[in-house]
Amino acid sequence: MFQYDFMQHAFLAGTLVALMCGTIGVFVMARNLSFIAHTFSHIGFAGASFAVYAGIDPLEGLLLFTLLSALGVGQMGVKAFRRDASVSVILSFFLGLGILFLSLSNKQSNFTATLLFGSVVGINMQDVWQIVGLTLLVLFVLALGYRLLKFDSFDQVGAAAAGLPIRWISVGFLLLMSVAVSVTVQIVGALLVFVLMTVPAAAARYFTQSVFAMIVVSSLLAAAGVWFGLVMGYYTSAPVSFYIASFEAVMYFTGITYQRLMLRYKKVRAS
Amino acid sequence: MTGEIRVDNLQVSFNGETILDHVSFQANPGEMFAIIGPNGAGKSTLLKTILGLIRPQGGHVSLEGETGKPIVGYVPQSRTIDDETPIQAGDFVSLGLKVRIIPWMSPSERRSVKRAMEMTHTLHLAKKPIGKLSGGERQRVFLAQALVRAPDILLLDESTANLDPNAQEQMMQLIKSVCHEHKVTVLFISHDLHLVKEYADRALFMSRGHYETGGVNHVMDNKAMEWLYHSTDHEKLGRRGLFEMDREHKTGYF
Repeated sequence: MFQYDFMQHAFLAGTLVALMCGTIGVFVMARNLSFIAHTFSHIGFAGASFAVYAGIDPLEGLLLFTLLSALGVGQMGVKAFRRDASVSVILSFFLGLGILFLSLSNKQSNFTATLLFGSVVGINMQDVWQIVGLTLLVLFVLALGYRLLKFDSFDQVGAAAAGLPIRWISVGFLLLMSVAVSVTVQIVGALLVFVLMTVPAAAARYFTQSVFAMIVVSSLLAAAGVWFGLVMGYYTSAPVSFYIASFEAVMYFTGITYQRLMLRYKKVRAS
Repeated sequence: MTGEIRVDNLQVSFNGETILDHVSFQANPGEMFAIIGPNGAGKSTLLKTILGLIRPQGGHVSLEGETGKPIVGYVPQSRTIDDETPIQAGDFVSLGLKVRIIPWMSPSERRSVKRAMEMTHTLHLAKKPIGKLSGGERQRVFLAQALVRAPDILLLDESTANLDPNAQEQMMQLIKSVCHEHKVTVLFISHDLHLVKEYADRALFMSRGHYETGGVNHVMDNKAMEWLYHSTDHEKLGRRGLFEMDREHKTGYF
């Protein structure tokens, strides 16, 4: 399997993206931004479609649209944007916009499927370098702002009282998230960003008891999902994204069951 | 002086409505200073303005610290803690440390966290997720976070409101001992007049942001508080009682 360049690229890019998603996903969950992440992926779809129409690199279109959206959401305030109605309107509008751009360009069905459902085995070495650069940038900024972000994500009232620049932290995090979404869309597609961005972090909550452990477990679950998907995708004809989504879903429900069993065990031990 | 709080002619309005109307008072270093008054009187607004979260339209707040700018600890009225959030109590306390770029804690920071948790008798809870703690335990952990940087001033916004009477007493005893042993100036809001009487050295009574009789807020000393409590049979007035007391004295002392 590893004698093929495309599999090497897929493993390298997939693992890095998984580590990034596992890490940022913990903060996405803590800040209740999972639906905004999902919306960003749809906005990214429109951006990539626009890039195809305009004849530029799809990643540039993804980044352009999602970064502008992050600034817009930051300006408007996350609370206003998080309303169900706002999310559904924006999500639908950008999906429609994406379809419009694709219809105006000559690349249609194949490219639509790639953008919506991802194509991890279709990435070339240039894509890998772009993904490596952006992923390391996101992880580096997350490491530098770890304490700031942890405080604001897990104790917003305390962070505001401590005089932290919470508005700037929010905007900064949305910008990071938009970069992460743009990169992830290339691996699992716009419709399945949830799979790496929030499901591993959600599952990790059930296995761990500290923020750092949650980051580690979430990253491992995301990476394991990508590896499982790639291996299964290689040996079968089913899409890689399907296997990644299935693996993460199983991990999530295993986490719920594990927590319930632990609670029951503790009750029995206490009595 | 370290820990001194001076509030002069503070004015705060929201959407044209006056919340604080020329509030003036002074809390002395190492003092337990209570703020009491009915809901909507502007007590929390006053605390947030002192903390710098609200910009006043007029007047000013001066806080004195050991090295000029004081370290202020704050325990808010409520926190949105998700029961499933896996942040451990020790980790939560460490959030209150000065934010640095290095992601991990230094040995001295670990000592600060340990000291704050020892002071609040929560060290045994350090590894437990905060969502799994009881209300009283959580409040002590919140207090530990506020104390982790060894503050000169501690601001508490109804931090005992959701606790049972025993837990309230324990919490207030803890705060009092911290206040006296570490010379921390404590400014606390409470609706429990019994606790105020028991633990505060002095108090400020607020009613809708201004004095009923004079248009300026009243700084209550011990003598005034004694008068306040002995003039009524209700030792433990609830919110309703406080409103009644306010109305009773509208044209009198207040």
